[in-house]
Amino acid sequence: MMNVISASSITGSALDAEKMRVDIVSQNIANANTTKGIDGKAYQRRIVAFESLLDAAAGPNMQGVRVSEIKRDENPGEIINNPQHPHADKDGNVTMPNVNIPFEMVDMVTATRSYEANLAVVRNARQMATQALSIGR
Amino acid sequence: MEMVASLFNSDNYTAVKKMMDVSALRHASIASNLANVSTPGYKRVDLSRSFEDELRASIQSRNADEIAEASPRTEVDTLTPSTRADGNNVQIDSELLGLTKNTMNFNVLTDFASGSLKQLRHAIMGRPA
Repeated sequence: MMNVISASSITGSALDAEKMRVDIVSQNIANANTTKGIDGKAYQRRIVAFESLLDAAAGPNMQGVRVSEIKRDENPGEIINNPQHPHADKDGNVTMPNVNIPFEMVDMVTATRSYEANLAVVRNARQMATQALSIGR
Repeated sequence: MEMVASLFNSDNYTAVKKMMDVSALRHASIASNLANVSTPGYKRVDLSRSFEDELRASIQSRNADEIAEASPRTEVDTLTPSTRADGNNVQIDSELLGLTKNTMNFNVLTDFASGSLKQLRHAIMGRPA
């Protein structure tokens, strides 16, 4: 019985992590055309890295998950020639962000599906707990 | 007293209690696997094979003490091959299937436990509760 409850800390960590991944995807998509970020350069897409972490409360071998770091993608963005652009250099070239929209969409769908899978775990845990509480009734 | 004690110490009732523990542990394993579906290098966790054999043998022996002694444990499953470049061997669909199956199993077990207790109450009260 305790196990059903403690597994919720694992699932909770996963929901947090997947939510963070969707947040970063939305940041990347929102900045797909940002040619001047706070550092004065074109926006660089962010990448979320996950790492597992042992959850001793849930039992041996049980692992939750967390976002270990949010890295910048250092690949250069596309350079387009557009002299009218306010951020164009003296040759009329503009460095665009290195955000690839289809790639971000795939990442978003993957994160959403993982989120749903973890919600299914919560649903099942609740059902099991309710069943256990109604033993003898 | 004899009848009450014989219910709580019966091999079936002990087995059901043990299987509920097993079910809860399997649920936690699946929760861990689904939580780490995107973690590079993660290997799935499952009930230990040696424990499953032990439990099966103890239930077949129909000895309540032996069943009560089996302690559920998990192990890291390195046998299932990884189909992904990052070495993670979790398959989201088979885990979800296992999750649903495990919950159904748990329902059957709680129904059985409830049934045993209801029978006992029936015997005490002399009428269905």
